[in-house]
Amino acid sequence: MIARILYVLLVSLAVLFLLAPILAVIPLAFNGGSFLSYPLDGVSLRWFETFLTTPPWLMALGNSVKVALGATVISVVLGGAAAVGLHALPNAWRVVVGGLFMSPLVVPSVVLSVGLFFLFARLGLAGHPLSIMLAHALLGFPLVFISVAATLRGLDPNLDLAASAMGASRWYRFWTVTFPLTLPGFWTGAIFAFMTSFDEVIIALFLSSPESITLPVVLFGSLRDKLQPTIVAVAVLLTCTSALFLAALGWLGRPRQAAQRTTETR
Amino acid sequence: MSRVSLYLSTLLLVALPVAYVAFLYLVPLGGVALRSVDNSTIHANLPATASAIDEAGAPSDEVAAALAKDLAAADRRSLGELARLLNLDAPGMRSLLLKTKRALDEVEVKGLADLRAIDPDWDEPIYWQALAENAQPYTFRYYATAIGLDRDPAGGWQFGAEGAIYLQILLRTFWMSLQVAVIACLIAYPLAHAIANGPPTVRVLLLGAVLLSFWMSILVRTTAWVVILQREGLVNEALMALGLVREPVQLIFNRLGTLLAMVHVLLPFAVLPLLNNMKQIPAQQRDAARSLGAGPFESFLRVYLPQTMRGILVGAGTVFILSLGFYITPALVGSPGDQLLSYYIADFMLKQLNWGMASTLSVILLACVLLGLAVAWLVNLLWRPAARAA
Repeated sequence: MIARILYVLLVSLAVLFLLAPILAVIPLAFNGGSFLSYPLDGVSLRWFETFLTTPPWLMALGNSVKVALGATVISVVLGGAAAVGLHALPNAWRVVVGGLFMSPLVVPSVVLSVGLFFLFARLGLAGHPLSIMLAHALLGFPLVFISVAATLRGLDPNLDLAASAMGASRWYRFWTVTFPLTLPGFWTGAIFAFMTSFDEVIIALFLSSPESITLPVVLFGSLRDKLQPTIVAVAVLLTCTSALFLAALGWLGRPRQAAQRTTETR
Repeated sequence: MSRVSLYLSTLLLVALPVAYVAFLYLVPLGGVALRSVDNSTIHANLPATASAIDEAGAPSDEVAAALAKDLAAADRRSLGELARLLNLDAPGMRSLLLKTKRALDEVEVKGLADLRAIDPDWDEPIYWQALAENAQPYTFRYYATAIGLDRDPAGGWQFGAEGAIYLQILLRTFWMSLQVAVIACLIAYPLAHAIANGPPTVRVLLLGAVLLSFWMSILVRTTAWVVILQREGLVNEALMALGLVREPVQLIFNRLGTLLAMVHVLLPFAVLPLLNNMKQIPAQQRDAARSLGAGPFESFLRVYLPQTMRGILVGAGTVFILSLGFYITPALVGSPGDQLLSYYIADFMLKQLNWGMASTLSVILLACVLLGLAVAWLVNLLWRPAARAA
């Protein structure tokens, strides 16, 4: 009994720690007053209005979407090529080259940013949105790579053999059998890549110029400067974006689970 | 034939991401390493002096004439940078060089005596030593600063008065990362257990909460902590309403706030490996242990916990390695005394424009992360046979 109570208490505390800060902060975005504290001074949408009518915030939002879309496209091409290419190679290759592909995710972003800053300065791309796009793809493509590689591993190799037995060329087999079946993996990876770029702060902080500044960099700057309700309104909008993408990921995961279930019952 | 063409097309596919990684990842990291020992500002701006001077830096007429020639050819900007760097090694050299450069408009320097006539300080060996050392295209100056060495008046190395600041910062980085890893595992453990073993509704809701947190912007989560921990924040109001404190407590811009926010940001990285591990442990084991007479605590300690050691290690290791490079959260929630190594790299890079120092600290941080990964790899290697034997 004591063990049970203790267990429920520990789990509740952990959940409280995980969710309480986020849940506590959301209502403040709708505060009518200009202080970030309770009790609320009436309910209003004025801070969302401020965000959507202030040119610097809007410009940053536009830059972020542009950079994230570009980074996603590059990530999908590179990650897809990496996963499909390595899938046909022997295991030792997969470990070594796959490890190299994944490694940008563990290198501290600040270190990566220092290196990229010098590189883009030398290339004459300093401050250009393209530089942030290219840099973000470095973090996005490993995510597409693992996601597509996982779906490829889950495919039944007999499908490819069957298509081959019916006389389909390798190129035709890939585009009519393998690719449609791994499409959920591509979509999942693309969402990962987009979210990663859209939320990324450090690389964008190092590489952006006033013209190419992204939303997280503006948010970071204003957080260091002064705590204002607009920041929380932006935070709430970003949270909604995350939740939306998470729902999309859940939806993408569903058909695969259904497919697994049918193979299990078979 | 078919096999060969299969390998060829595969290699072509893999070549694209490999080229990308090589050009945008390996080359820049190599560039950082090179820059941490780069000394070309001096080497490139004093070419004649660099070739004339010998290793000991013994002054001679030939070197003096070469120096005068280089100085006369140097433009304002490169001379200023040169003087600033040399002044780090030989205090006073900045003004000496600038004075000499000005005098060169009127005096022609043919030998050592002419230089001494401009300024008698050219008698001091320290300036010639500084020139001799910097004639090398590479320098370990930044690494010396990083471990707390600076120049003594005679031109040698000594431990600086303020001690090894960057080593202390590195130590702080390790210590705080360790704290974050341990706290994150303690909080993640019951959470992962509830997701792995709870009723379906609890499972879905909790996993959803963890994943939402995982995908939520680090800035949003840090903002949340700033807002609730501030002086007028919810936590302070709750404490005062409960009568636990009379005045608001300082909860933010200190170590506690920084650790809490970092744990919150990294918590999913501890939950997910633990969850993977716990899902593989059959629930019947607990019943078996209980039916053999073990109490709930004993069955947990002797049956369940040992089987989750792998998950704990993977989770703690991941959180620790990711913490080492943390910048955003401490920068927003911490005091100056809670900043990790990344903060100083960003500061040298963006504010002080000391790229040599930024590169050197980057190399040190990267080396620490690689060391952490190597240890994790070794543990992983040694762990497997033990698990199989059990």
